[in-house]
Amino acid sequence: MSPTTHDEERSEEGSVGAPDLSALGPNIDVLTFEQILEMDDDEDEREFSRSIVFGFFEQAEATFVKMEDALKDKDLATLSSLGHFLKGSSATLGLTKVKDSCEKIQHYGAKKDEDGTADEPDEEKCLERIKETLDTVKEEYAEVEKSLKKFFGPAP
Amino acid sequence: MDKGGDMMGGPSANNSSDFVRKLYKMLEDPSYETIVRWGEGGQSFVNEKFTKSILPKHFKHSNFASFVRQLNKYDFHKVRQNNEDNTPSPYGPNAWEFKHPEFQADKKDSLDNIRRKAPAPRKAAQGVEESSYPAQQMDLVNSQLMATQQQLQQLSERYQDLAQGHVVLLQQVVQLQKFVKAHDGVMHKVMGFLHNVDNTQRRNSRMAPYGGSTAGSSLMGGPASTEEDHPASPLQQASELLDKYSAETLPNLELSKMADDYHLRHDYSTPPSDQTSAAIGPTAASTSITQLGYPMHNDLDNMVYPVGHTNGIDPINSEHIHNIPYALPPNGLMHVESMPEMMPEASVPGRKKISVDSPWGITKPRILLVEDDRVCARIGSKFLHAFQCGVETASNGLEAVNKINNGTSQFDLILMDIIMPQLDGVSATVCIREIRPHIPIIAMTSNIRADDIDMYFRYGMNDVLPKPFTKEGMLKALEKNLPQFRKNTQFTQSPATQMPAQTQMPAQTQMPAQGTFVAPNQPQPQLNLNMGQLSAAQSMKDETSPGKSPATASSWHSPSQLPTTSPVTNMSGNYGPYSMAPAHPQHSHPQSGYQPPNPAMGASAPRAGGPHRRVLSDMTGASAQEDHPDVKRQRMYQPQQGNF
Repeated sequence: MSPTTHDEERSEEGSVGAPDLSALGPNIDVLTFEQILEMDDDEDEREFSRSIVFGFFEQAEATFVKMEDALKDKDLATLSSLGHFLKGSSATLGLTKVKDSCEKIQHYGAKKDEDGTADEPDEEKCLERIKETLDTVKEEYAEVEKSLKKFFGPAP
Repeated sequence: MDKGGDMMGGPSANNSSDFVRKLYKMLEDPSYETIVRWGEGGQSFVNEKFTKSILPKHFKHSNFASFVRQLNKYDFHKVRQNNEDNTPSPYGPNAWEFKHPEFQADKKDSLDNIRRKAPAPRKAAQGVEESSYPAQQMDLVNSQLMATQQQLQQLSERYQDLAQGHVVLLQQVVQLQKFVKAHDGVMHKVMGFLHNVDNTQRRNSRMAPYGGSTAGSSLMGGPASTEEDHPASPLQQASELLDKYSAETLPNLELSKMADDYHLRHDYSTPPSDQTSAAIGPTAASTSITQLGYPMHNDLDNMVYPVGHTNGIDPINSEHIHNIPYALPPNGLMHVESMPEMMPEASVPGRKKISVDSPWGITKPRILLVEDDRVCARIGSKFLHAFQCGVETASNGLEAVNKINNGTSQFDLILMDIIMPQLDGVSATVCIREIRPHIPIIAMTSNIRADDIDMYFRYGMNDVLPKPFTKEGMLKALEKNLPQFRKNTQFTQSPATQMPAQTQMPAQTQMPAQGTFVAPNQPQPQLNLNMGQLSAAQSMKDETSPGKSPATASSWHSPSQLPTTSPVTNMSGNYGPYSMAPAHPQHSHPQSGYQPPNPAMGASAPRAGGPHRRVLSDMTGASAQEDHPDVKRQRMYQPQQGNF
């Protein structure tokens, strides 16, 4: 519905790193994201990728709310699984930074260190780290959300 | 006999009983040789005057019988003479020969092994002990009984599912019949109209009857047009043909739809003909659209994704499992990935962008995508659609197991997320393996450390597709694990092997396709036999079907079509999937069922895996006829010229 820029971009369909995609910024893995764009039946309307991306927005925002709640409840297990949950979808979209942060939350929630290799028995420390990471991931998310919304243009 | 043995006898005999030792000693003592001695070979001993001279002296037994009893208690056995020969004992008529496996000359050590058998009272005690055995066994039997009862329970549940399926099926058949009847009425009205038009036109101009045909075809769609192309055609024949065509195509659409609903055989779900589906198959068309897994419109609105009181998904909270945000298709139906060559363009909204060439042959694999994350699930199924696979999703392991369990859909491969609510992917794999030991299951996960992967394989998964997956990676994994579906292997395979039997796909999964595709040419017997074979639903059958089925059938069906049908084929094609028993041979029936009704076309492509192909060839054959009216006229009118 947005007869914006991606008409031209899509005209050279398949060429990796088309100009508009690179405009999405370094937070998005172009190759992964382009895979989803390729699934669009119509490159003007972008129904599929748009619905995926906007669905992800809702999912991410809702997950952040849940994370805040779990943080209040000091529920590390829930935090870990929420982190895992959002990690999957952000990774599938190529939102690398968000994905990395979610993975950290997953690890912290599992009482591990950042990489998930060493144990971190101090729950308070884990919660503190999750809190920090959650703030970070929200910023990262806001960034990609902005550029993605710009990419897709106003909702049809 | 042997002094050495005697010398050693003392200490070593401690363990053996006095009775046995005494006996042994006596045997060793040559002075007793006339009374008791070793038999030949030293494995038995023989006594002759034992009773008189020895017993009172050395043993407490006053009579020989008592002595023998004692021997028996120590498990000595009398060596019986061969009575048949009537040869007297080599040791004399009065000699008694006894033996014990451990009681042998020169083997004094083994005396210790000769023990008095357990006395009678202790035997009774043993009996008590043994009665506790049965108690344990009772437990065992009880648990077995429980297991059996559970199995029975499962079976009855399964049966109920099947029975329910039958009810719905029968309802659909009845609906179909109504639909066909109604359509038949329409057809006849149209024919009446055509009749008028034709009459008018013949009056007006004998050379230009096409006006009628266009008027007719705009109303009637495809099948009609095939007749109406023909100038000045006798309308009786046209209506006959119309009956035939409508009766052929209609049930096919409906039946394939039903089969889709229950068996998710979507790779054949597309109507065999665009025209007919457009004209008479609104239900079929709409179902195939609604079953598309990814809603194309109002996507977010249709999402089950919770925005209100439940915010987001808590994967470990079971109450959220019903809020899984996937646009799950209604009734858990499989998303249709229609075969592009068969699908009317309208219902595939522009696949032009999807650049992936289908790697599959005629039969497309059906994939169960188990994934709790909506985004991943949608992208994954989108990819799978792009690969022209049939896709059904499950949002957790439990749902996946249920889908496999209830058997309404058959899959060729499972893509399995690992971390999921309700039931994780590994556990689900273990459960599924009990039912489908050989179906390829690919772990789809971002946890791909070596020990993770090791665990996946250990619990029966076949492969790992790391997340975030790429289209290429997914396709590669599919191709690797579904070699039998690949294009190049397809054509070299015989129909029997080409069926996904290799992946342990029960034969019947393939059957509905063939059965249903057989339908266009002989829908009527199919219905009847279907009813007749629904043994599990006899009562339902009695209530709903028998009256209607034949009646409606005869109303729409031109009797001339009937003799060509192969009842067995029809029956197995449609009944098989519901019976869930691979009772019907899979081979031979595709061809046998398909060809007879349509000998002219049947010759075109009787090839492996053929349902689609054959229908396709029929279609092309049909359109070819339209292109060449002469050929067609020849064919179509040949039989009727005699009538006319």
